[in-house]
Amino acid sequence: MLKRFLSERPLRLPHIKPYVPRPSDPSIFWFNSERDDIVSDVVKRICTTHEPDRARLEIALNDAAYHEIRRLETQRDEEARDRLGYWRSMIRRIGKMDDTEQRRVLHTIVTEMTRDVAGNFDPRVYRFARQAAPRLIGGIMEPRRLVAAAPESLDRVLKVQGDLERLRQLQNEGSLVFVPTHSSNLDSIVLAQALEISGLPPVVYGAGKNLFTNPIISFFMHNLGAYRVDRRIRVSLYKDILKLYSQVMIERGYHSLFFPGGTRSRSGMIERHVKLGLLGSAVEAFTTNQVRRIDRPVWFVPTTINYALVLEAETLIKDWLMEEGQARYIIEDDEFSQIDRWFAFFRKMVGMRGACTIRFGDPIDPFGNRVDARGQSLTPTGRAIDPGGYVEQRGKPVVDALRDAAYTRELGEVLAQRYEQDTVLMSTQVVAHVLFRDLVQSTPGMDLFARLRLRGEIGLDRETLCQELGEARDRLCALEAKGRVRTSDVVKEDTPSELLERALSYWNGYHDSTAATLEGNRVVLGDPSLLLYYQNRLVPFAEDIASPEQLQAACEIRNLGAHR
Amino acid sequence: MSLRVGVVGAGGFGRAIALASARHGHEVVLWSRRERDLPDPIRMSTDVADIRDCELVFLAVPARHAVEVAEQLGEVVDGRHSMVHVSRGLVGAELKTITQVIRDKTVCRRLGALAGPLVADALAEGRPSGAILGTGFPDLTGMVREALGGAGLRIYETRDVVGVELASATVGFLTVVLAYGQEVGLDPSTLAVLATRGIVEVSRIGQTLGAKESTFMGLAGLGDLIAAVAGDQRPELRLGRALAQGVDLSNAVGEAGAYVEGIDVAGHLIEHARRLGLETPISSTFAAVTEGRLSQDDAIQALMERRVGKE
Repeated sequence: MLKRFLSERPLRLPHIKPYVPRPSDPSIFWFNSERDDIVSDVVKRICTTHEPDRARLEIALNDAAYHEIRRLETQRDEEARDRLGYWRSMIRRIGKMDDTEQRRVLHTIVTEMTRDVAGNFDPRVYRFARQAAPRLIGGIMEPRRLVAAAPESLDRVLKVQGDLERLRQLQNEGSLVFVPTHSSNLDSIVLAQALEISGLPPVVYGAGKNLFTNPIISFFMHNLGAYRVDRRIRVSLYKDILKLYSQVMIERGYHSLFFPGGTRSRSGMIERHVKLGLLGSAVEAFTTNQVRRIDRPVWFVPTTINYALVLEAETLIKDWLMEEGQARYIIEDDEFSQIDRWFAFFRKMVGMRGACTIRFGDPIDPFGNRVDARGQSLTPTGRAIDPGGYVEQRGKPVVDALRDAAYTRELGEVLAQRYEQDTVLMSTQVVAHVLFRDLVQSTPGMDLFARLRLRGEIGLDRETLCQELGEARDRLCALEAKGRVRTSDVVKEDTPSELLERALSYWNGYHDSTAATLEGNRVVLGDPSLLLYYQNRLVPFAEDIASPEQLQAACEIRNLGAHR
Repeated sequence: MSLRVGVVGAGGFGRAIALASARHGHEVVLWSRRERDLPDPIRMSTDVADIRDCELVFLAVPARHAVEVAEQLGEVVDGRHSMVHVSRGLVGAELKTITQVIRDKTVCRRLGALAGPLVADALAEGRPSGAILGTGFPDLTGMVREALGGAGLRIYETRDVVGVELASATVGFLTVVLAYGQEVGLDPSTLAVLATRGIVEVSRIGQTLGAKESTFMGLAGLGDLIAAVAGDQRPELRLGRALAQGVDLSNAVGEAGAYVEGIDVAGHLIEHARRLGLETPISSTFAAVTEGRLSQDDAIQALMERRVGKE
């Protein structure tokens, strides 16, 4: 009951005196005054595409009723008691309705769904959150310093890289769309913090409706411009609404964030395939503005979020290994939902230098071209071009959904490349790779699952291991010099022995299982699946950092990524 | 509606595209480094800037020149241009396709690869033929049909661009193998097994590079190979026959009369497959024969002795 109340009825602060945005405020400060207009714009466009064609309209209504009845019958909750009757009665009447009634019903459904999606933005909550969030997170890490200098803890743990000055300049010239890699449910929180400390604007983003059931998170989400995505709803109209809502927001100049991977990387590998739905909404926003002669460009910021320790590592890799990634699209029982794991995680993070690095990559236009600080799209040799040319046909900009879908696929490919280049390899990932490669090398012919059962059975000479770590690190630095990937400061600066000890100390004591332990001069491998998770970040580089003797093992590791 | 068509490269295929486009009433400019005689109304140009005004550009240069030419085009093309290549090659050990090269060196994104059993003479003379265009952009297919199609040419479409490019490149190599087999007197049934299993072998490798198996079984793969076996007199056939007659590789390439992309491709494909642990019996055996590491008889015996599995 409370859950439903919180997810359906947002808690908002009373408005005694409405906030009047200043010209210097980020675009989202205008959201509340535009919200009704945005909702009606989305409703109008959806209805306009369906209304002229009775067959299409009828299919949409039937699809909505069918999927909602199925969902509510499974849910068997209060919402089901309220709404099931409506949908059952509707599905019986659709065929008998005349055109006017069908259109009226469509309008009602679409309006309700769009209102449910649309968020809110309260500048007072935003101001409070930007001051309190670092203190709260820092406080969880170091409770004794909650009142004093807790935010410093966060600064030590979170590092932000990238050409921030260029992004700060671009934020006033067009819509920025941040498209990060996705490893953890903490991603949106740390990313919001990274934007804040970098002087970048707050963003609009879609958050799973399940997050709104926690009263505190719900309050912040409702008031910080997040829009709600109910992943249980399978209705195709609802998916259209989500995409169009995102598109309209970008068209209107709201900076946005979405995770193109769609869900957290179960394997720990860098995303190579991205989902095209929301990405396409940003491309179409660019086209629509061009057709309307509105000079508001759209730029994508490929962003990598790199953790030395991942809160949900064990659940994610287990899920990947069980090949249930699809079936368990929404995992609700992982470490993210266990508050004691949060405390354990943050406590661990506080002692870690640079535990999380966020790298904002160089911005690109919707066609994958790099962009300079003035927002000009550039060719590989630096010539400025007009991106509007991409959507022209015989000299005139036109909307063409199939063409834009093709551009979106191309953009997805570019993002996947950029994720590799902008990934910052962390100490635990490099150490895990060398350990896992040794495991593969010492068990020739064995399959992955047989290897994963070898807990505590493989011991490696510490000195040899450190030598291999040093060589792998040198090769990674050489790749970094060529722009293929990046490494963290810790990876660059630590001695191999320090790297090894650091990684072991990070893992042990946080994860339930032990990745590896030091026993005298030997390093004994514990749970290979944990090593697999962390080392998977290096899959694309395995061959490049292997010696001739390690090449066979490296090829096997690289092939782990071949069928993703 | 008349299109402004640009053709890059004045080889057999480049000229054929220019002739076909001009025949369909389009405004055609052919860019080549050297001045050539071309029939009216095709305009010859040695200045790459003349490509700037073209909306559809055909790239008809061998893969080994693709990087350099793409760099030059990169200085004049932008988002308004559409580009289609007809190369049968791949670039470098990393097996880069030509569309990948164009993407790296230019800002052109509306790209396509034209392949299949289409040969230059048939295109130039407007004889009935067919081809496949790999592109993600349906409007590009419309433009290419408008430029080259008509009653004489059926241009099919697929979104599997990389599949078309890999199939086209690997068929070049398989053609050399089959011509070799014909010349040494293999039975038609043996040739059929060689062709069919050869397609399976290259499609297996292609799939690791993102291609679809079905593309290898269509016009870009099997269709193109059938045209070669039927004897369309392409240089790969001459190369295969010369090798079978005992001519060494460098001289055989000379006898082929034109550059054969398939030989470069084969070496890189074998190396790529080896790294991934894929079996490439036909390609590897043929490479061993051409390099003199295996005799003809031993090669056939080695292939026949392999364990037979499911198709």
